[in-house]
Amino acid sequence: MVSAYGRRFYATKPELAAHRIEAIGYQVGHQLIERYTMERPRFNDHLEVIKFICKDFWQELFKKQIDNLKTNHKGTFVLQDNNFRWLTRISIDPSSDNNDGSQGSSSEATNLLLYFPCGIIRGALSNLGIPCAVSADSSNLPFCSFMVRIKA
Amino acid sequence: MIASVAVVGHQNNPLYLQSFTNANDALKLHHIVHCSLDVIDERVNNPKRSVSTLNESYLGLLYPTESYKVYGYLSNTKAKFLVVTTDLDVKDADIRSFFRRFHAAYVDAVSNPFHVPEKKIVSRTFAQRVSGIVKAFAAGTNG
Repeated sequence: MVSAYGRRFYATKPELAAHRIEAIGYQVGHQLIERYTMERPRFNDHLEVIKFICKDFWQELFKKQIDNLKTNHKGTFVLQDNNFRWLTRISIDPSSDNNDGSQGSSSEATNLLLYFPCGIIRGALSNLGIPCAVSADSSNLPFCSFMVRIKA
Repeated sequence: MIASVAVVGHQNNPLYLQSFTNANDALKLHHIVHCSLDVIDERVNNPKRSVSTLNESYLGLLYPTESYKVYGYLSNTKAKFLVVTTDLDVKDADIRSFFRRFHAAYVDAVSNPFHVPEKKIVSRTFAQRVSGIVKAFAAGTNG
């Protein structure tokens, strides 16, 4: 799906493709969270919501939990996954070790792929009443970290 | 006898209203549902001495008026489910199981990719499922 959006639909405008993929992820997260929080009692504060995302939600989606959660207690959380399931089979092009920082097209493809889980997290949190911005960082595959900034 | 059911979104916008009595009192049902929203807000925003109610999704009897009772249920995503019933004695367990089935039907309706969030639910399957749940509830309390 991501390659269809990246190459065919918005081939000349990668920012629009990224935006669209993130929006799809937003809707998916929005609808999934309703299903997964059905049996649970209500949450008390933001930290509980983030912990739910790290444990139960991630477990349902990726069959494992988030490995590391950091926060600065001021509305920013970093979720670290040591072996992100969707990126374990990405091939890293060894011939693109240029020192101009472009790293070939593999990192662009990875970035496009990462917009989808960012959208899922953002949709899940906003349906629980927490508007936020999510960004992903994958400088060291398959280790991946998502930074969640809560807009207060 | 369940008179009507309603689903209200997290910005208090109505998502689904259905009445099961024969009279044309849709307006009265809208009014009842609207008033119940205030009671829900008051229960949720005002942490009373019983702190356990904060964690419960099922809010219980909201208020009894002259001929009917209104029960409320709040999901984690702030979707409110309301049931107006004209029964005099309804067992708590029955209403809880009703809300559980109602919530399951709602989740399935919202998971429809063609459903626009925060707009009214137009799915016929959802309407049929809700009617089935209401009929089963009525049969359960009578029989």
